[in-house]
Amino acid sequence: MLPVISIDQLSIQFKGSENKSLDSLSFEVFKGEKFGIFGPNGAGKTTLISILCGLLVPDSGSVNYSVNKPSETFKQVLNEIGYVPQEYAFYSELSPVQNLNYFGALYGIPAIERKQRIAELLEILGLQTVADKKINTFSGGMKRRVNLAIGIINRPKILFLDEPTVGVDVQSKMAIMQYLEELNKLGTTIIYTSHHLKEAEEFCERILLMDHGKMIALDHLKTLLLEHETVNLESFFIKLTGSEYRD
Amino acid sequence: MNKLLATLKKEALVVLHDKVGLLLMYVMPIALVFIITLVNDSSFRMVSGNEISVLVVNDDNGDRGDSLIRLLEKSGSFKLTVTKCLSSKAIQQSLLKDNRLLAIQIPKNFTLQLTRKASGVTDLMLNEFGVKDSVVIQPKNEPQSLVVFYDPVLQENYRFSINNSIYAYLGSLENSMIMQNLYAEMGYDNVPEEIRIKLSSERVMIEEVAASSSGKSPIPNATQHNVPAWSVFAMFFMVVSLGGNIVKERLNGTFVRLRTIPSSFSLVLYSKMLVYLVVALSQLLTIGLIGMFVFPLIDLPKLNLPENLIATLVVALLSGMTAVSYAVLVGVFSKTQEQANGFGAISIIIFAAIGGIWVPSFAMPEYLQSFGQVSPLHWCLSGFYVLFLQNGAWSELQSTVLFLGSFIVGCQLLVYLKLKAQRHW
Repeated sequence: MLPVISIDQLSIQFKGSENKSLDSLSFEVFKGEKFGIFGPNGAGKTTLISILCGLLVPDSGSVNYSVNKPSETFKQVLNEIGYVPQEYAFYSELSPVQNLNYFGALYGIPAIERKQRIAELLEILGLQTVADKKINTFSGGMKRRVNLAIGIINRPKILFLDEPTVGVDVQSKMAIMQYLEELNKLGTTIIYTSHHLKEAEEFCERILLMDHGKMIALDHLKTLLLEHETVNLESFFIKLTGSEYRD
Repeated sequence: MNKLLATLKKEALVVLHDKVGLLLMYVMPIALVFIITLVNDSSFRMVSGNEISVLVVNDDNGDRGDSLIRLLEKSGSFKLTVTKCLSSKAIQQSLLKDNRLLAIQIPKNFTLQLTRKASGVTDLMLNEFGVKDSVVIQPKNEPQSLVVFYDPVLQENYRFSINNSIYAYLGSLENSMIMQNLYAEMGYDNVPEEIRIKLSSERVMIEEVAASSSGKSPIPNATQHNVPAWSVFAMFFMVVSLGGNIVKERLNGTFVRLRTIPSSFSLVLYSKMLVYLVVALSQLLTIGLIGMFVFPLIDLPKLNLPENLIATLVVALLSGMTAVSYAVLVGVFSKTQEQANGFGAISIIIFAAIGGIWVPSFAMPEYLQSFGQVSPLHWCLSGFYVLFLQNGAWSELQSTVLFLGSFIVGCQLLVYLKLKAQRHW
């Protein structure tokens, strides 16, 4: 398989912090895979995703993308990336259609195609009946689905998901995960972080386990479970990172 | 182009959905313009119209007290209630109880004092002319003052103008008595009618002209002052809405998402600025239209537009841009919405205070006037006053344009540097 993202010796240390948030991290994400990044609080997951999405600049190391051709920079692949942050990233005083129209236009999607794409997403994510209502009247599950819809309006080739199902009901969670599976089948590479280890176990093919900014495990889940003689992601997680609080 | 249009549309929708922001940006300044103009106008009318209710306690044993009362009545400036023999305490109580602003107590020997003074002056004059040889030395009495009691709410400048009016009437009474005495000494019963008429007519009139370089200027009134002043205040008060909006966007997920999209934050920022500039100009237009068409309906002076409409538009645009740039600066440098709202609102109130929005700059102490020079509101107001009060020319707007232009550039530069430092540009 071809790597779409190659991370080499990535390090970053924030001002005032005694330790590095990322310490010489190197790994690859392959085209079309469902890649999970896990770790306790403070492990460096968000920092890593922020660097991969161009929100932070590392102190050292490099990130190369190979979406359309080898060794592209983040700026060159901006149009091919989708990002669904953990917090609601939309204008809650506007409707889903208004939000999708706005973000779609920023991606440069032509008006007719945008209209079609919005209708498609609203239908898939069960938002047609509230398409023109203000989002600030929505339930948590509906807001999560809007958050996801905006993240994939541009049909991204690489999709970053940061806790995409946090705080949603079972039905919304199922709808979101099903759609992510469909997207992946269509060729989208998904990079996913979550604290729902059961959900992650079912969804991810390969996982990266991090702690204190360092990689402590990277492989297919089945291989890792066998290797560490654990039965599921949760027991594997506890075995490698310990059970003390990480606040 | 599509990105710009989409961003402008989104910003416009966000503004339209922000009911509290709209209330602050439109309803509050309109209410302020109405209230302040009504208050200023009624104060003006209280001094210039026949509105001041005055209690006159005439204790005078002679007839000059009555003459003074007639003169006060004739002036049309006072609504008199005349009574006799009230103690100082009773007058003060009556003043507060009956909601009167002023009371005048005419002393017992008022006529006697005036008569003695008039006789003394007449004797001296006749002596000087060589008509009379000896001067009668008038016995000196303990002078008694005409006492003016006032309600403490009456401002000093009103009291000052009322006292001046009373002094003028007293002077007129004295002059007429001196004239009468002169004629009496010369054997006449009365001052001849022809002379009396001549004296009271053909006075040198006072013509008031508001300074204007063009020679034509609208009559300054409460509306001409307040509409520009409060429109400027309203424009700048958008710091609460725009500043808060920028912080909100920076702090919530949309900003992060925007940074992962092929679009720059500068596009978002410039779209916000453009939308809020339209808001600022529409505030000015709304308040201006109210001044022109609604104020006359409620008996307030009509707003007269300056002759130089292009200069007015330029000053309006610069003022709007200044307000928007300041709001963006506050929004970009604030870490929380509370900071933006609190600092933004308080700074505008301080700028308004030292900038002459509430109290004219010339009435402030010199050091405050110096501080006022750094207030952008001062320069916006100064530009509008040049146009609305003085009907001024372009040349008189030079310092306004220079300051506002520099202020805009300064704010934009600071915003750019801050965003650049945060890698948000």
